[in-house]
Amino acid sequence: MYITDIIRRSGRSLRQAKARTILTALAIAVGTFALTLTLAASNGAQAFVDNIIADNFDPTELLVAKDETLFGGGDVSKPQEYDESFGDFASSAGAAVQIKRLTSKDVNKIKQVPGIESVRIELDINLEFVTRPGGKNDSKKYVATAQAFNPSKNPDLLAGSVPKPLNNRQVLIPEGFLEPLGFASAEQAINQPITLAVRKPFDPDSLKFNPKTMELEEDKSIEKNKKENFTVVGVMKKASTAQPGTELYMFIGSADALRLNDIATKDTDNYRKYLSASARVSDGNDPAKLKTVQDELVNRGFVALSVKDTQEFLTQIIDVLRYIVAGFGAIAVIASLFGIINTMYISVLQRTREIGLMKALGMHKRDIGRLFRFEAAWIGFLGGVMGSAGAYGLGTLLNPTISKALQLEEGEVFLIFRLPEIAILVGLLMLVAIIAGLLPSRKAAKLDPIEALRTE
Amino acid sequence: MIHVKNISKIYGKKEAAFSALKDVDFAIPEGSTVAIIGRSGSGKSTLMHIMSGLDHPTRGQILIDGEILHEMKARKMDKFRADQMSFIFQSFFVEANQTCYQNVALPLEIAKTKRRGRKHRVHEALKKVELSDKIHQKAANLSGGQKQRLAIARAIVNEPKLIFADEPTGNLDTVTGDHITELLFGLNKEIGCTLVIVTHDPEMAERCQIQIRLKDGKIESTTGLTQNVKKAKKTAKKPAQKPAKKTSTKGKK
Repeated sequence: MYITDIIRRSGRSLRQAKARTILTALAIAVGTFALTLTLAASNGAQAFVDNIIADNFDPTELLVAKDETLFGGGDVSKPQEYDESFGDFASSAGAAVQIKRLTSKDVNKIKQVPGIESVRIELDINLEFVTRPGGKNDSKKYVATAQAFNPSKNPDLLAGSVPKPLNNRQVLIPEGFLEPLGFASAEQAINQPITLAVRKPFDPDSLKFNPKTMELEEDKSIEKNKKENFTVVGVMKKASTAQPGTELYMFIGSADALRLNDIATKDTDNYRKYLSASARVSDGNDPAKLKTVQDELVNRGFVALSVKDTQEFLTQIIDVLRYIVAGFGAIAVIASLFGIINTMYISVLQRTREIGLMKALGMHKRDIGRLFRFEAAWIGFLGGVMGSAGAYGLGTLLNPTISKALQLEEGEVFLIFRLPEIAILVGLLMLVAIIAGLLPSRKAAKLDPIEALRTE
Repeated sequence: MIHVKNISKIYGKKEAAFSALKDVDFAIPEGSTVAIIGRSGSGKSTLMHIMSGLDHPTRGQILIDGEILHEMKARKMDKFRADQMSFIFQSFFVEANQTCYQNVALPLEIAKTKRRGRKHRVHEALKKVELSDKIHQKAANLSGGQKQRLAIARAIVNEPKLIFADEPTGNLDTVTGDHITELLFGLNKEIGCTLVIVTHDPEMAERCQIQIRLKDGKIESTTGLTQNVKKAKKTAKKPAQKPAKKTSTKGKK
């Protein structure tokens, strides 16, 4: 028998038992529904993470540090040995830990690694406050963080422009600071001055002995904070893809950042010690080259993370959720397989005579087996299409609502359906259905035609 | 030319052994009509199953045009059956949920007839049994006689050399049965195929050129196995001599 004839005959016999076929397929459809939605949701999450990465990281750069605990590595459950050279204590999850920092010497070492084009120190400066000189809200001061601007970034601007690199005393402010600083609109803020202040380390010389009270008193004439005026050159739009926690960051030039950092850490353990640096690799778009440099950095005692590693770090949680839902979907599919086996056995029993006749007419054993395996495949196909179509329909319907609830940017959706993926899923289901149909089809193929044709 | 050569069939083993057929031996020329007659349990159905290759004999062999049927490999036997044999059953065995066309097309599909030629042959076969107007009707809508005519159309569509009919009128009333009988013998003349009818209807058997009466697995008597047939028997022996010896030694084991 030609394969096409077998496929047509198997489809026809399914149509003759419509209710049974659809019910069996529905069981598979439930699993497929879950699997399709899982796929779509993880596609959406992946796309979201990719967007975050693309907006915040440069793929040709490696993030270099001295301490692996920064990137989720290391063991913080065991006591850490004290090292004087480590610098300040930082606290992670309440427990005090020492973070090994990069020194200027380290930065030079990184620069010497072959293949590294340039090194930019990553600086997050906790400003004492930010304010607007001479404005209406002059007296109001706000807590803020400034970061050295990465010239490879392209933030969405509401107004202004980004000179690359940022010149001295230029600042990019986030949309969120417009109103607090008393700007009516983004345009109004451009070219206006704002004041950034950093706290100078405690200076023992500022204390004076007051013979009257017999106490040490602060010299009020000495300024505790170093205030500097910056010019606003751009106002950044709030991006849903901003690295979480960085929405209110202000960006200043690298030179300014280093200087402010020096002021803030002068005479402390953290002076000229940095948490991490970004190293740009020449031809870093070539994964092999990137990897070579990364390995070399690790060889020289650094911790180096590529954007891909960061991405994996971020997707880890998504992956776990994905596996859980996919697991439930797979269990549903496996459960429905027993439905297929059952249905196929009934089909074989019902068609005993037909099978006997076909055998008597010279149909090969193999073709009889195929007839029933194709029937199982059809059920798998039907269930797969029903489930994925249902998921697609529901997903498309709910996408706008979900995107709104998650405050995604325009054009970004939570569920991303990819047709080739769905096709592969349906194909896999057909394969699994065929496996489920193996036993019943074997029974059909082995049927004795004389027994089957015995008149009742 | 079909030579049924010393066929024995034993079911079970040792004490429980039961001989369904004992040394059944006859030969029928091509194009003839043969009736295998006997009461139920006489072994006539078993004989038909063995002659069509559905069942295996314990001893003996079936020679069809000099070829030993049961020495064929499974695939070759399937192909042989698909090309050269067909069946008509007492309970019709037409697929009620399929249309007449689909029922009749089944043997063509199994024999891998080219799709282009199928339609014409199905139409021709249905025309011969006067069911042309029912071609796209479901078989479930047909009467008993029409169903058997449909089964006959299915049996002749592939132009087989050999048609086995197992009590073809057994489930039909006398008038319809007579009609079917006429049709079968008419087609036998028209197509020239060998027709082997298993029946206990003496009237139908009467119309066959050859009658083989079975009783308790043995040939009780035969009619119509003329000299002509015996001559044919001799000629058939020649090309089949070597394989014949083989099986006879097998049988002694």
